[in-house]
Amino acid sequence: MLELNVNHIDKNFGGLQVLKDVSFQVRGPELIGLIGPNGAGKTTLTNILDGAIKPSSGTVYLNGKRIDTLPPYMVARAGLGRTFQVTRAFRRMTVMENLLVPALALHATARRKTMEAKAREILDFLTIDHLTNEYGRALSGGQQKLLELGRLLMLDPALIILDEPFAGVHPRLMEVIYEYINRVNSEGKAIILISHDMDTIFTLSKRLLVLNYGDLIADGDPNEVKDDPLVKSAYLGEDDDELLLATE
Amino acid sequence: MRAKLTGWVLGFIAIVLLFLAPLGLQNSPYLMHLAITAYFYAILASSWSLLAGYAGQFSFGHMAFMAIGGYTSALFGTYIRLTSAPTNLCREIPVGNMWLVFLEPVGITQSGAPNCLEIARESFAAGTVIIQPSLWVGIGLGVLMGGLFGLIIGAMVLRLRSTYLALFTIGFSEILRATLSAEIDITQGQSGMEMQPLFPQGLTVAGIFFGPASKIPPYYIMLALFLFCMALMGWLTASRFGLFIRSIREDEEAAAALGVHVVRYKILVFVITAMMAAAAGAIQNHYIGIITPNVLIILQMSIVIAMAVIGGLENIVAAAIGAIVIEFALELLRNSFDIGPFEIDMTTWRLVFFGGLLMITLRFFRNGLIYPLLTRFTRGNVGAETVAKRQATPTEIPPDDLPPEELREAPHA
Repeated sequence: MLELNVNHIDKNFGGLQVLKDVSFQVRGPELIGLIGPNGAGKTTLTNILDGAIKPSSGTVYLNGKRIDTLPPYMVARAGLGRTFQVTRAFRRMTVMENLLVPALALHATARRKTMEAKAREILDFLTIDHLTNEYGRALSGGQQKLLELGRLLMLDPALIILDEPFAGVHPRLMEVIYEYINRVNSEGKAIILISHDMDTIFTLSKRLLVLNYGDLIADGDPNEVKDDPLVKSAYLGEDDDELLLATE
Repeated sequence: MRAKLTGWVLGFIAIVLLFLAPLGLQNSPYLMHLAITAYFYAILASSWSLLAGYAGQFSFGHMAFMAIGGYTSALFGTYIRLTSAPTNLCREIPVGNMWLVFLEPVGITQSGAPNCLEIARESFAAGTVIIQPSLWVGIGLGVLMGGLFGLIIGAMVLRLRSTYLALFTIGFSEILRATLSAEIDITQGQSGMEMQPLFPQGLTVAGIFFGPASKIPPYYIMLALFLFCMALMGWLTASRFGLFIRSIREDEEAAAALGVHVVRYKILVFVITAMMAAAAGAIQNHYIGIITPNVLIILQMSIVIAMAVIGGLENIVAAAIGAIVIEFALELLRNSFDIGPFEIDMTTWRLVFFGGLLMITLRFFRNGLIYPLLTRFTRGNVGAETVAKRQATPTEIPPDDLPPEELREAPHA
């Protein structure tokens, strides 16, 4: 069973403390929402979890293995995959090639034909199989989001961090992403979902983490978190209507 | 499938023609020389295409690796000998039952005085053997030295991108050129180092003797190296190596987050392409018979880049074809002609033509002139396939579901 332990993470950029003593655990296939106002430290935390930046202090363990000292490619191979807030499809590579990169990076001896067959299944599920041989840059923004999700399926990580997967996505493609999240979660993978879309967060998440200027101010059931006085003062202070409407 | 088969057949025919070309060119040493030089540039342009076009490492140090290969072989041939007895005058180390002798630097101001080995020879016992090691060992060392420097430079530029990478490698190239120019005692500075011909005693093949000055053996040596490099790069680009370096070019962070060992592949591509450039440099300069620091001037590097860009930066075959065509075109355009009372001196104007072609390519054909032709064989039906597959799926089509036509074309650099 998946076990992620984030212990007392601090991160300073010069004099600015972006994360302050952040600790939480993930046990098994949880579906966790991570919210916070702009500048709360969500993306910094994600970058620390995937090894892109090192914490100033604190540790991260994934299934008993310390990963905060590892480079990103080793974190990915250890079982943590992520998408990016701004889509990062490989624009001058075909959709199929985009999917083959993680598969062949993870499996040093895998046969390309086998991985191509797996990629076709994933593209079919994501409803973009007709674009298999198109370049990444030829896809719309929503399709590029799906492509990123497809790459994660090829990587097959135990824990997935989705950074704003619904931003700027066509409603029909949003349905596909909903289905993706539920399917992947039901297959035993843990998901940390970062989104400014409160409707989505409260619909999908079973647990909610709230960051506010580097502090983890709440961690629990979404319905309980929404009544937390700290969350109300920090988050609702910015946009009362947004959270209230989402939780009604 | 049919288009790919056509591509393979055309490729095979081209290779056969290249092998048969000396039958038509052997009476023209000039054209044979052009062909050898064209293959030399084709190796440089295509390997640079792998480095810059596929991996996104926009290096200006490629000619430096070429020079490292050439100079290593030149230094080896000039200063290294094997003897069966110690000289007791030169620097030397025992190797088995032989002695590896390092001759002292001769320098450009040499007075004609004998070197340490020539003095020692006077006192050698009868039967003492003095051997000049095969130049092919020197060429091999040149290739290894190119790879070593590729490793060092590749590791040093790991965190550098675009302009900074270009400036760093220009700096490296200039330092090397200045060093080779300044160390006159060892490298003979701007006068350059003489290098043995590839076959100093000539070569006999199937009973036919080719003299040391014959261009046929160098032609086939350079052609073989060119085809070997193309085959190796073709295999690499079609393998996971090619996939990974292209993903690194597209987005290093995203590639790493998907499990690609970015550092390993960035350094590997530097090492591989540096070794190819070094091999080409060593063989070409043995063929010419001399190497000077001028091979490192920025214009030489610019020509290689221009060849790759005009052919097609993101395809090794396009870059190689571009280099061959441009090498021949630049030379054949040397012929001056008259327009009425005006004499057009093409020795100057051909470079204007070349510069103009480069500018037009960059402005209107950013995929190069050859690459779009090649993509007809590899991606000709993609657009039709996409539309057909989409139409076969009976679901509502969102307005952004099909890519615009212009985005289906091969992406440019």
